Amino acid sequence: MKFTAVAAACLSLLSTAYTHSTSTSKVVLPSTFKPPQTFKNANLVHIISLEKNYVKENINVLIENVSEGPQDEYFLPFTNEQMEKIGGFEVKDRKNSDVVGFGVDAVEFDPLSDVQFYRIKLPAPLASGSQQTIGISFYYLNALKALPASIDQTDKQYLIHSFSAYCPSAYPTLKQKTEVKLPSSDVPDYTKVAGNEDTKEFPVKQGSKLTYGPFPEVPAGASLPAKVRYEFNKPVTHVSQLERDIEVSHWGGNVAFEERYTLFHYGANLSSQFSRVKWAQSQYFSPQTFALKEMKFVLGAGSKDAYFTDVIGNVSTSRFRTNKREAVLELKPRYPVFGGWKYPFTIGWNADSNNYLKKSGDKYLLNIPLIEGPKQEEGVEYEHVDVRVFLPEGAENVKFYTSAPGSSITEHSVDIVRTYLDTVGRTVLTIKARNLVDELRDRELLVSYEYSTAAALRKPFVIFSSTMAVFVGIWLLSKLDVSFSTK
Amino acid sequence: MAVDQGAGSKLPGLLVSLGKNESTKTLLKVIILAIIAAAAVASRLFSVIRFESIIHEFDPWFNFRATKYLVANGFYQFWDWFDDRTWHPLGRVTGGTLYPGLMVTSGVIYHLLRFLTVPVDIRNICVLLAPAFSGLTAYAAYLLTNEMTTSSSAGLLAAAFMGITPGYISRSVAGSYDNEAIAIFLLVFTFYLWIKALKLGSMLWGALCALFYGYMVASWGGYAFITCLVPLHAFVLICMGRFSMRLYVAYTTWYALGTLASMQIPFVGFLPVRTSEHMPALGIFGFLQLVAFLEYVRSAVPSRQFQTFLYVGLGGIFGVGLLGLVGLTAGGYIAPWSGRFYSLWDTGYAKIHIPIIASVSEHQPTAWPAFFFDLNLLIWLFPAGVYMCFQRLEDEHVFIIVYALFGSYFAGVMVRLMLTLTPVVCVAAAIAASQLLDTYLQYKSPEVVESKEEESTDGTAKKASKQGSLRSASQPVVGIYNVLSKAFIAGAMTLFLLIFVQHCTWVTSNAYSSPSVVLASRMPDGSQHIIDDYREAYQWLRQNTKEDAKIMSWWDYGYQIGGMADRPTLVDNNTWNNTHIATVGKAMSSREEVAYPIMRQHEVDYVLVVFGGLLGYSGDDINKFLWMVRIAEGIWPDEVKERDFFTPRGEYKVDADASETMKNSLMYKMSYHNYATLFPPGQAQDRVRGARLPDQSPVLNSLEEAYTSENWIIRIYKVKDLDNVGRDHAAAASFERGHKKKKAIKKRGPRVLRAE
Repeated sequence: MKFTAVAAACLSLLSTAYTHSTSTSKVVLPSTFKPPQTFKNANLVHIISLEKNYVKENINVLIENVSEGPQDEYFLPFTNEQMEKIGGFEVKDRKNSDVVGFGVDAVEFDPLSDVQFYRIKLPAPLASGSQQTIGISFYYLNALKALPASIDQTDKQYLIHSFSAYCPSAYPTLKQKTEVKLPSSDVPDYTKVAGNEDTKEFPVKQGSKLTYGPFPEVPAGASLPAKVRYEFNKPVTHVSQLERDIEVSHWGGNVAFEERYTLFHYGANLSSQFSRVKWAQSQYFSPQTFALKEMKFVLGAGSKDAYFTDVIGNVSTSRFRTNKREAVLELKPRYPVFGGWKYPFTIGWNADSNNYLKKSGDKYLLNIPLIEGPKQEEGVEYEHVDVRVFLPEGAENVKFYTSAPGSSITEHSVDIVRTYLDTVGRTVLTIKARNLVDELRDRELLVSYEYSTAAALRKPFVIFSSTMAVFVGIWLLSKLDVSFSTK
Repeated sequence: MAVDQGAGSKLPGLLVSLGKNESTKTLLKVIILAIIAAAAVASRLFSVIRFESIIHEFDPWFNFRATKYLVANGFYQFWDWFDDRTWHPLGRVTGGTLYPGLMVTSGVIYHLLRFLTVPVDIRNICVLLAPAFSGLTAYAAYLLTNEMTTSSSAGLLAAAFMGITPGYISRSVAGSYDNEAIAIFLLVFTFYLWIKALKLGSMLWGALCALFYGYMVASWGGYAFITCLVPLHAFVLICMGRFSMRLYVAYTTWYALGTLASMQIPFVGFLPVRTSEHMPALGIFGFLQLVAFLEYVRSAVPSRQFQTFLYVGLGGIFGVGLLGLVGLTAGGYIAPWSGRFYSLWDTGYAKIHIPIIASVSEHQPTAWPAFFFDLNLLIWLFPAGVYMCFQRLEDEHVFIIVYALFGSYFAGVMVRLMLTLTPVVCVAAAIAASQLLDTYLQYKSPEVVESKEEESTDGTAKKASKQGSLRSASQPVVGIYNVLSKAFIAGAMTLFLLIFVQHCTWVTSNAYSSPSVVLASRMPDGSQHIIDDYREAYQWLRQNTKEDAKIMSWWDYGYQIGGMADRPTLVDNNTWNNTHIATVGKAMSSREEVAYPIMRQHEVDYVLVVFGGLLGYSGDDINKFLWMVRIAEGIWPDEVKERDFFTPRGEYKVDADASETMKNSLMYKMSYHNYATLFPPGQAQDRVRGARLPDQSPVLNSLEEAYTSENWIIRIYKVKDLDNVGRDHAAAASFERGHKKKKAIKKRGPRVLRAE
């Protein structure tokens, strides 16, 4: 009873979610576009987190409508380079979490312009002179560079990040502060700027945190370039392509997952060749290293039959542990992955469909995580993610909804693929996403579809009848007399 | 096997009542054969279950790579395939120098399954091809045996033997994706079709035989065995005075069509008319025409004239034919016997003349325990079976006798030819075993002796008159009256068969199911620990070196590097160019200063060596090193000398006593580079050769260590580029190490003030 209610609610949600077969999250504006000066930032706190191997930025800003009429479009500037690397763009209301429905779109106006914009569409227009606190969060992938770029196997790795101490904004900002959170207090270099009033010099360093500001009013588009170089003796794991296949089998009561990773280490390269002796010794004496040597995948409880392979077969250095509450797949690559090295691999597992699939009548609802990559302390970033959901043959009326940031989903489509003795082919939902990070692991993907009993019986019937046809054919052939006449 | 046994011994009453009905019998046979096929497949899956679905050893990796190429690029591309990623910089005309039967078979199966929308990975098809075909081989052995005897249990026993005998399993476990995987089925089936064609004198069966012979030629170089055995059989028959039109029709059909079929394979081409190995078949073809002609003349002229005609004509033509053959061979139109062929007659030949053939362990003469190991009880049933063939001695039995003789000889000469002996052993042993079982498992005692004898004499007399053969016309009736002796013999036989099954399982499981790419060891707690160094290093090469980085290694690893690391190699297991292999051997066995220019000339980027010293893995390069030296010495006897690699006392040593040449050779340096640093001072040890090594590791100047696998089995070195400021590598490396250039300073002489 409870389930049907939930399913019905979800279905109604889905019906509003995506109706077009393909969608883009881009707004096209004339090439002479300039954001209208309709807002000002009354107060702004900019937090740059460098604790993981990607950059996470939070901008909490109190915006005030300074124009005549109500406004609902707030623009945020980025450089061209940043536009390529940005991902997971989300906006929330900081004061009132009930306010939902912020629209986020990349603005397309002049591809050559150095300044590009994201447009944030407020759920309700902001009346003239009134204020709202919004929290904007997004990630930059592949924004960290190792310095020095090549180090010895046993050295520590340092990364460098460039940013602006003034938060980039298309509007004047009255008061602002930029905080940089670092993974450790070992920060050999960072840009120092002149202070004001009670602080002589920015930033203020407290442990592993640098604080620039507070700064007085700055005009729109102001920037104050800064750099920070800090110790990050952990792998800079970059997945350039993740192909994730989910195959739903109603007959087998099974959901099969397979994920193919193209993994790179974007950190410091080795200055000399890899030495096994040094590696064996450092493993013994100081296990902390910037090489990627282990990954831990936390899978859904009840997962089974996990495997870890690469292009030349099974990799034996993996462990799969399951109990009632969790299933953990721990794997070691064949070799420690250092900066500039590559390690593509495949993992897969099965799970009971009861854990993921709900049914009401002919309608089904599949609830799976959008991504389930490794759970690494240092984080993992994904440049391209292709999720394919293979629904049973004859599934119709496919709709989906995902709680991942809408701006990350670049494309989606529903196709037909013929495999495993299919006659008409099974329905495949393909979702392509860009620039995701492992913090979005818990975002779910809901897929609803209709699947009739007749469709479920098609395959057994086809197999039975074709086998019968073969037997009958052989029998008929055996009745033929092809020998020469003996007369 | 067990089922067949059970049906035979435990349920005689049931069998008797069931056996009455012909269709029940057929059904039983089908079920038993299906179970035998299942057992044959299942017993080959040890390695898949213990390890994974993986291609084994060396050659299969090439076949697998070629199959992938075929599937990806289509048949005609495959036919024209020029592979520039092997034998750098020469390349290899792969499409024209391989037997495509295996790859095409897998490709057809792959596309068939695709057509039925069953997406099976090509690797799994390749891995499971050999077990699947072993089921078919069992069936072919059943058919062949049924042609030899009327006892239906013999065929089933032969199928069961064929299915599980280690002699065949050794080449057909899951993952050993080699030509033999399908060739043994084709061999047995071709023989079956030949017997069928001979018995019926049928062109249809002869053509079928030729068709499968063509398939066999497309699959395996061992087709020459058929090419020689069938003519030999025909020749023996003619000598026994058994020439018949049946033989004439069967042989000529097979030879004409079969030779045409075999010439369609580019690798074979005109060999059937140009090499000595194929000449017997051609000779017998001509001889048969002659004999047929003589038969015709004999029916036309009186017998005295015929005899003179026979002696003059036959002798003359034989002489002319032989002279012609010798003349053509001398003139170079027909290739003389190849070296590999000579080594079949003189087992010491290869060691002296062709070290590259002798260096392969499977080309060694067979040790006698191997016969028992591979065939177990069959080896003593085998002569009995051959004896039974003598007793009946019809055309087909002559075939078994001839096959048995030649198969035994070849199996004694070369280990791998055990494979061709196995089918005939299974057939003969099954004939013997079934005779024994049929005699002792009669539920009813024979009744009145007289009547039976009469009946049987009648039967044999009729048969004998029909054949016109020489052997005695009556056969003593056999029958056992005593239940005790029946039970004893049947029980003993059952026990032997059970022991045979147990032995086969044990041998398969322990000796033949290791992929050799992956090594297994046991942890202290008994769990399996997999040593996967080969793939670790190959994967590293594949992912972290540039696409066309050339890898130099000894030829054993060429196919694996091509298949797993996907990088160009200098030499591989194809061994078509001895000089190129000798070049690599020379580079490995020379000083760095000599080796470096060779490596530069061949654009080598990385050098890969296999080193088992840490783990005690005996199949490593230092143990193979002497072969490299010998092969290199064969081409450059002045520059590489085997003697220099031994200590003055003639020992092959790697420790401090090793000869200077040994210590300075590239192979030695690469194997032991940095190895001593793993151990506390004075304790560096090579666990394969049990040698204590000097504390000072060899110094490498022109190479640098690029990667070493976890257990040090694979060591990869990068060839350094030329020095930036034009020094030689030794000088540059010594500068890097911080040594001052003392000698140069001395040479400069005392400083003088400038006079001008």
